[in-house]
Amino acid sequence: MFPKLDPLLHSELRLAVMSVLAGVEEADFTYLKKQTGATSGNLSVQIDKLTAAGYITVEKGFKGKMPRTACRITPAGAEAFRNYVDALKTYLSAGE
Amino acid sequence: MEQNKEMTAVESLQLITETFNNSRRGILRNSAKYFILWGTVLTLTSLAIYLLWHFTGKPEWNYLWFVMPTIGYGVAAFLGRYDVAVPKNEISRMVGGMWSVFGAFSITLSAIAVFLVPMHVTLIIAIIMGLAECMSGVLLKNWAIIICGFIFGIGGAVFAIMMKSEAQLLIFTLGGVLLLVTGLIIKLQYK
Repeated sequence: MFPKLDPLLHSELRLAVMSVLAGVEEADFTYLKKQTGATSGNLSVQIDKLTAAGYITVEKGFKGKMPRTACRITPAGAEAFRNYVDALKTYLSAGE
Repeated sequence: MEQNKEMTAVESLQLITETFNNSRRGILRNSAKYFILWGTVLTLTSLAIYLLWHFTGKPEWNYLWFVMPTIGYGVAAFLGRYDVAVPKNEISRMVGGMWSVFGAFSITLSAIAVFLVPMHVTLIIAIIMGLAECMSGVLLKNWAIIICGFIFGIGGAVFAIMMKSEAQLLIFTLGGVLLLVTGLIIKLQYK
């Protein structure tokens, strides 16, 4: 029996966002946009979904006079990401 | 990038690996600019003080060392304002933290040597700078940086004992060039 893949993470853009956030302390919205190549609107929607699930936190503030949105992975998000990767490995090892 | 694209397990793992590695490379490549910045500031400051001391015979020009951190941090802050904020990962945080500790030790020891207890500050700074460089190489898993740091630390210590007065400052000119080279090595390693 294969473990079920987390539908929230099994989406190209949300998975990319989580992959970036898994390796850093926190990342700016502009950095995530650059790394994923997504549009601002699309990225905002996906970030909202990840925030609603409790996988990431978003902090709005200012850097100098410029508005800044910082995203950070939560412990629940990190665990979900680990579980997702483990589940993928199960699928791959079964296919070998 | 689409949010609703159906991905296979292989595609998902590929995406995770590529995104993670791209981000990691970008973060480490970004740390190169600070090596290049501080290398340039150190090379120019040490050369300026060396020349001023050499041609005027006044060691008081050494007070200019205390201006160097202001220039370095000022330029770093200025550059940071216009860049896309690159996040920190474990390695870049440790490398940055270690050089901040090195800076704090160097400034404090120099101030103590000038105002309170005379000591061979060139010797001490050469050794701890060599150590910081070596440790950067260990964290970045780069043998060229480790060897550069080792040669600079040991060679700088010997040079500091052998050379007198303003000639000692050339150790820091060499140190500045070493930081510049380190920055270029990092850029090449994570291009």
